[in-house]
Amino acid sequence: MRQVNAEQVERLRSPKPAIAIEVASLASILRYRAAERPNDPGYIFLPDRGGGRHQITYAELYRRARALALRLAVHGKRGDRAVLLFPPGLDFVVAFFGCLLAGIIAVPMMIPRRGSRRDASTAIFADCSPRFAITYRDLVAVARPDLGNRFSDVELEWLFVDAPGAEPNPNVALPALERADIAFLQYTSGSTSTPKGVIVSHDNLLQNLEMIRIAFGNTPQSTHVTWVPHYHDMGLILCILQSLYIGALCVLMAPVSFLQRPLSWLRAIHEYRAEVAGGPNFAFDLCVKRHRPEEMQGVDLSCWKLAYNGAEPVRAATIERFASTFAPYGFSANSAHPAYGMAEATLLISSGKRGAGPTLLTVDRDALQNGKAVASTPNHHVHRIVGCGRPLIGERLAIVDPDDRRRLRAGQIGEIWVAGPHVAQGYWCNAEATAAVFGAIIDGEPAEIWLRTGDLGFLDENNELYITGRIKDLIIIRGVNHYPQDIENTVQDCHTALRQHCGAAFSMLDQNDEEQLVIVQEVERTYRHRFAIGEIIGSIREAVNREHEITPREIVLIRTGTLPQTTSGKIQRSLTKQMFLAGSLAVLQ
Amino acid sequence: MVSGSPSESEIRDWCVKYLARTLDLREPTIDPDAKFARLGLDSANSVYLIVELEEWLGTELTTELIFEYPSIAELARYLARHAAGERGAG
Repeated sequence: MRQVNAEQVERLRSPKPAIAIEVASLASILRYRAAERPNDPGYIFLPDRGGGRHQITYAELYRRARALALRLAVHGKRGDRAVLLFPPGLDFVVAFFGCLLAGIIAVPMMIPRRGSRRDASTAIFADCSPRFAITYRDLVAVARPDLGNRFSDVELEWLFVDAPGAEPNPNVALPALERADIAFLQYTSGSTSTPKGVIVSHDNLLQNLEMIRIAFGNTPQSTHVTWVPHYHDMGLILCILQSLYIGALCVLMAPVSFLQRPLSWLRAIHEYRAEVAGGPNFAFDLCVKRHRPEEMQGVDLSCWKLAYNGAEPVRAATIERFASTFAPYGFSANSAHPAYGMAEATLLISSGKRGAGPTLLTVDRDALQNGKAVASTPNHHVHRIVGCGRPLIGERLAIVDPDDRRRLRAGQIGEIWVAGPHVAQGYWCNAEATAAVFGAIIDGEPAEIWLRTGDLGFLDENNELYITGRIKDLIIIRGVNHYPQDIENTVQDCHTALRQHCGAAFSMLDQNDEEQLVIVQEVERTYRHRFAIGEIIGSIREAVNREHEITPREIVLIRTGTLPQTTSGKIQRSLTKQMFLAGSLAVLQ
Repeated sequence: MVSGSPSESEIRDWCVKYLARTLDLREPTIDPDAKFARLGLDSANSVYLIVELEEWLGTELTTELIFEYPSIAELARYLARHAAGERGAG
């Protein structure tokens, strides 16, 4: 799949492992836990509104996962894909490990929203052509009968984790897995037109789980509490899989429980004496916003050693507000733990040291925009940036000029490139994107191939990584990635007055430094004098909300032919953004 | 928390003001009969609306209400009849 020779691949794939792991897959670790500590709870799920708790022991998890794996092995063959459609809860964990045990490639995904027409699920199904859809009986039978119809034209077999089904055939054996086998596909965004499924092998997964263990200093006592969705790479790998890997309890909450009652997350951290819990930057802001002293009585957060913050840009002000708000409950500012990662590197790319606290740097905002990280002088506009820790053990990280591909020195801003055994195998069935993203070579260093992250940043003299921007066209809202092309397509299809291929979606920072969606769209010349702007804008809001779950902050309709495009017709999103900020677009009033 | 049980029109006005502020829209452009989706209320913002209403009304609400009563007018009518009554009953 990669556009590189086999020798280069081999060199990349055989570095010295940080710690030798003598297992072929995470499934072996589950088997080991089930034998070693059968009655220990591996996972606990806290349903909304304190309705008790559900828990599953390692032995029970292994038994149920194995039963599912045997059914999968009867009906499918190694390497078939299975999409996992689950609400938050323990059944997802069973299904995920069932796939691993059977050598079936798991594809975790969000349950398609009711009433959405063109959401990511259709594109993911088309992209990975699953043999199975795994869920639980009541989801399709009772809660969401529309799901069966939605995928009625796709040839696949529905399997229910809660159905005993036929007795497993004793002649069916589970395959002996190899580390090079594919464990799962991680679809990285809510993309509707060009979904990209990152291919994560068992080796990638085990390598990154080991890197996370070392970087985070995790032990079997490192209880996790998480509300991040299980179809999000952070929720899956950093919580659900890392906890099993290290043999620690993982307490799960539904994302909506967190959004509605963020303090319940903190109370669960207290109650389970959790060491490790985190989320995207917005989660910490939400806790501060919803802080009510009367709901925090008796809460002691001194157990919380590692509050990781990643998946969207980490803000200095957020970290400080959170630390000062929750210091009275024993939260230590040194527990704030910025990190950086992406699915293409399985998950984690850089991390601070446990308990060291964040590194803040004040830089000159103007110099930063010109590609240099310069310590600020009092007369300049200053900007505080947060260090995302250092490269991981077993990983190489380079800052590279994205245009001429030269390696840059400390303090110089360039694109972040990564190499190591955790770099994934590429994108599923997409050789072109795989070559462009996973097959990069630094000028004058032909011996190694690199992953291009599309993010901009620099390393300081201490090898601390700072993220300063993004060259890829990507919008990140509440930790979820959105491709602008998808949003632009939705906009252009929602109203006949809107010109095809003549719109731009991008994000800008609001007064709280949060990313907000802006849509700039041309209107057909023929419609100019007979439409109601308000009605069109309402249609755009509705469509973008329905298909992408985002509330646009600004929708700007502009004159025909005035959107900045290259001579070859490519949308110039960053120029459009500059013109929007400068107020120089030909806006229709 | 509001004192006394707000009327349907008070709840409606409160929702219009709240959504104008959070969605950065002008109040007159918010039609109480428009579906929440039409106003661009995504799922996270729906949850936040419910949470703000809970605090204001001093009662517990479920996020499903947004789907069952998908406009400001419908939600306000429901809340005026039921939510305030629940609080009164303790």
